[in-house]
Amino acid sequence: MSAGIKLSPIPTLPPPVDPSQEDITIVMRRDLRRALAKPIEQRHWGMVIDLQRCTGCQGCTIACINENKLPPGVVYRPVLENVSGTFPNVSKQFLPRPCMQCEDPPCVPVCPVAATYKRPDGIVAIDYDVCIGCRYCITACPYSARTFDWGEFYGDAVCGAPTAYEEVPSLEYGKVWMREPGTSPIGNTRKCQFCLERLDHGELPACTETCFGRATYFGDLNDPEALVNRVRQDRQMMQLKSDLGTNPSVFYLL
Amino acid sequence: MVNSSVRTDLPRAPGLARSPWTWLLGVLVLLGLVAWVYELGHGLAATGMRDVVSWGMYIFTFAYLVGLSAGGLIVASSSEVFHIEALRPLARLGVLTAAVFSAAAGLMIIPDLGQPIRVLNLFIFPNWTSPLVWDVTIITIYFLFSVLELWVMVRRPEKKKTLTTLAFIGLPLAVLLHSITAIIFGLQMSRPWWNTALMAPIFVASAILSGTALIVLIAWILQRYNNLRIPAATWRWLAGLMVMALFVDLFFVASDYVTIAWDNIPKDRQVLDLILPGGPYQLTFWFEWVLGGVIPFVILASSKLRAKASNLALAAALILMGVYAFRIELVIPAFVNPLIQLPPGTSLGAVSTSGSFQLVGHYSPTWVEYLITVGLFALTALAIAIGYRRLHLGRTIQEAAEHVAD
Repeated sequence: MSAGIKLSPIPTLPPPVDPSQEDITIVMRRDLRRALAKPIEQRHWGMVIDLQRCTGCQGCTIACINENKLPPGVVYRPVLENVSGTFPNVSKQFLPRPCMQCEDPPCVPVCPVAATYKRPDGIVAIDYDVCIGCRYCITACPYSARTFDWGEFYGDAVCGAPTAYEEVPSLEYGKVWMREPGTSPIGNTRKCQFCLERLDHGELPACTETCFGRATYFGDLNDPEALVNRVRQDRQMMQLKSDLGTNPSVFYLL
Repeated sequence: MVNSSVRTDLPRAPGLARSPWTWLLGVLVLLGLVAWVYELGHGLAATGMRDVVSWGMYIFTFAYLVGLSAGGLIVASSSEVFHIEALRPLARLGVLTAAVFSAAAGLMIIPDLGQPIRVLNLFIFPNWTSPLVWDVTIITIYFLFSVLELWVMVRRPEKKKTLTTLAFIGLPLAVLLHSITAIIFGLQMSRPWWNTALMAPIFVASAILSGTALIVLIAWILQRYNNLRIPAATWRWLAGLMVMALFVDLFFVASDYVTIAWDNIPKDRQVLDLILPGGPYQLTFWFEWVLGGVIPFVILASSKLRAKASNLALAAALILMGVYAFRIELVIPAFVNPLIQLPPGTSLGAVSTSGSFQLVGHYSPTWVEYLITVGLFALTALAIAIGYRRLHLGRTIQEAAEHVAD
């Protein structure tokens, strides 16, 4: 290292991706509408998460739970944490973990009744009406991105019955799902599906919309002009467990 | 019906309905049914399974039941295919256990499903890339085949050619059944501990081991309490079969241990450490290697000890426990360490006092799981007892035994 370079002790955040005055959610929503105008098989929904911008606030986790009306302990998008170093030279990294929507998903071929499948736009979906609840897909997912709805309610421990806010239906896959004992999605595997019902209405996934660090980018990976592709240009990237050959549609900027 | 004269020197066992054992088993079956109804009402939340350990007692018992069924047909077919006259008396008993236990394995899957009412989807919308569908198919075929073979054996015993053909089909079918069950686990690239090419060989060896042990135990009970005389040559063959299978089974398992221990790759090694002495799951190790391994091996290898049928029965009982321990060891420790081990861990699908995430999975079956599993075992015992009497297996075992030279 030459003496002329001055090292900054604190890593600086990269400059905002879009230098224009527009908020990136507005840019991404425009990207989204452009993608929706194309036939479904020509789009490939993908997500890019900038680990340098993630503050670990878990806002995305909460937004996701709220959007999908998730029961106790069913989490589609946890924010994992990694502490490295020892005090005082210690740092903490955050890793939001949605479903990777793999190009070659290990969970899909193992489903005995083809209830889970990859859509033409790359999203791995579950047909709640077909799933028998065998949980084979949960064992097959390398990312623990699939959770099972065991049928618990927050109200069980408090008042022995579902609380009022648990009787609000979930709108996953554009349908109305009331959680009642014995009926789907109770007894089914559940997972992140990039908020399909929001995409269909031209809206961003709840996690992306919420992210106040603006660390989550979403869009059509097939569209070179989309922010989700522009933001990846000059950055180091990784996919989780890329050695498995699953080829996730979720990229992390390092 | 067997066309020989009815023998009068054979003692008649007391009627099943009057035996206290029947009543005990009946009560256990009933309790299992009550537990199942409770589970239907409460969903899988009534079990001890949650997201980190998402398969439990039902699945390792299922794998155990499949193994027991494969062994029966292997014993029965071997007598025909390899011309082992000494095993011929037990051929029908073997096929009966094959039919009963393959049916039980199929039944075991139903309480494991989150949506049991949709179990028929397995046949209506089968997804042929899924090893689970291959397994459902082979179990169904295996069950139907066992029933067919049993029917021919009992009703058309004069059709020697057909019986030989069936035996030749039965042997590969039994090997296939267990290989495919192993593949459910073995083909999962994301799961350390399961993703090994040794899985199918281990399953086939343990199936022959536990299946033979089951036949030995039943034969001993019949000899001890039903005054049936099993020839010494038959005992010798069964002992030989068990000791060989025991050796091969433990050899395969040990090969797996050595590879994992030497490579020392964390994701594999941490599972092995769970079951090795000192780990939280060491009980399965002691059951598999000492109680169900070394001790029965010594009994079976010593010509003095194995000469007594009761010693063989003891070895068989120990082996049956050891193989069950192996099934537990296979399924549960594979789940204990989440696949991404960053805090806060994997979500549970439930809220517990320690939060809704776990970095180390825990599993203990609930009373519902225990009762359903015990009830199903009781049901298989009842089915074998009823089948044994209704098909007059005692008489045919005795007749065939007379043709076996000691």
